Amino acid sequence: MSMDVLDLQGAAGAVHAVRLLMDEHRDRLVALDQAIGDGDLGLTMTKAFAAADDYAASASAVTPGKMLMQAGMAMAKAAPSTMGTLVATGFMRGGKAIAEAAALDTSGLASFFRAFTAGIMERGKTQLGNKTVVDALDPAATALEAAAARGADVRAALDEAAAAAEQGRAAARQMMSQHGKAAVFREQTIGIDDPGAAVGALILQGFAASVQT
Amino acid sequence: MKKFLNEAERFVPDMIEGILAAHPGRLASVADDLHCLVKGGPKTPNKVGIASGGGSGHLPLFLGYIGDGLLDGCSIGDVFQSPSADQMLEVTRAIDAGAGVLYIYGNYGGDVLNFDMATEMASMEDITVETVLGADDVASAPKTEGQKRRGVAGIFYLFKCAGALAAELAPLAEVKRVAEKAAANVRTMGVALTPCIVPQVGKPGFELGEGEMEIGMGIHGERGIRRGPLVTADTIVDEMLPAILDDLPYERGDEVSVLVNGLGATPKEELYILFRRVARELQQRGITIFNTYVGEFATSMEMAGASISLLKLDDELKRLVSRPADTPFFSQPQL
Repeated sequence: MSMDVLDLQGAAGAVHAVRLLMDEHRDRLVALDQAIGDGDLGLTMTKAFAAADDYAASASAVTPGKMLMQAGMAMAKAAPSTMGTLVATGFMRGGKAIAEAAALDTSGLASFFRAFTAGIMERGKTQLGNKTVVDALDPAATALEAAAARGADVRAALDEAAAAAEQGRAAARQMMSQHGKAAVFREQTIGIDDPGAAVGALILQGFAASVQT
Repeated sequence: MKKFLNEAERFVPDMIEGILAAHPGRLASVADDLHCLVKGGPKTPNKVGIASGGGSGHLPLFLGYIGDGLLDGCSIGDVFQSPSADQMLEVTRAIDAGAGVLYIYGNYGGDVLNFDMATEMASMEDITVETVLGADDVASAPKTEGQKRRGVAGIFYLFKCAGALAAELAPLAEVKRVAEKAAANVRTMGVALTPCIVPQVGKPGFELGEGEMEIGMGIHGERGIRRGPLVTADTIVDEMLPAILDDLPYERGDEVSVLVNGLGATPKEELYILFRRVARELQQRGITIFNTYVGEFATSMEMAGASISLLKLDDELKRLVSRPADTPFFSQPQL
């Protein structure tokens, strides 16, 4: 069965699926963050996505984009840490890019994740290769763009994007941290999983899971 | 650690409750959050709102400058921690009087991230926000990397100039322009003699040996330029002042405002001993002092140490520095 669009309800379902994944991976994220950060990432992300999901479930927004934008605002309020603010920025910028679309096809999702990634890069003043969430998100956005170009449906496209994000997360393992507390450890971060990239991979995994029957 | 504390976790809220109780009517918290503070009383319609904020532990920075002729509001984080974007947004909403809001804060990663986020959230509510960063610490990065410099005590001059012009109901673009002008003309350098203790940590953030000083140390204990044996006050000024003067540069014939700032545990007596040498050296170089501030303007908990800031004046900045201001922590008559 093909799936052509993610409507308002579908987008809310995607946010809900990410929330469930963050809950499931909470302790893993805490452990990853304790190795090179301050260890609060698992708590921050569960709080952030709980707030986003609660908003999405009760949303009065009329389009998926506006709902995702407002969900980002709710995250910013609920999880005021660096990573919470960055992921919230991603949702706000991504949602803004597709604010008027009544439903998201593959190309709409590509626009969402491209603006999501660009927003985080701008706010976090970072780029690809610095061992951050961007290293999982950027390959996913690229995969969605490629899928849109060949006319793939939403389900196939999100599967490919989730796989690309997971590959990006794995590749980030060999990178050296440049930002935040992790940057203090420099070379010691090579060979260690990046908690931010893990979050990026989970976001895409959640979106992909939400469109499986 | 010897501090007046109830619980370490209550350090910031207990402090703010004390400040609100001491200055009834002059300050108010908004959004039911002690970390969101604004000037008491009604807003002046069409006045540009000026907001600052950052971590606690620097009084009178930031909230001590809320009042007439300076700031309209501040968001305050835990000790040395950024407040959240949402707290910044609450303050922004509360102080916007229809003419937009100017953020003036120090150039630190967490603060930039959150204030930028607050700007974006405010724009979704059709509140116009502009930003000017304090980045006056010459010891924090070379002049060629000015965008990396941290903001320290010299930010007071940004508040002072922008606050004075905003009080005259100038538009946002003008208020921003004079804040930028003050930022472009102020330079600071600090020196630390002892470390400070964040209450929730309970021990000093770094070691500084008996008889040692660190020139150029930041107001959160960031590494400075040089650590060495403590020397005489005059010798310290003789090392710091040229670094400031050469950076802008300040030249013969210039007129300046001088700020000698204590970092928390240094008595005013010692600040005046430093200023004595600053005054003599400036006179020797043909630089005129228009006015002088000596006291605590931006502290670092109980750190012993001081900083020296110079603002190069033109007619416009001189007029704005001279304007009266009145807040719970700072007041001056028309100069």
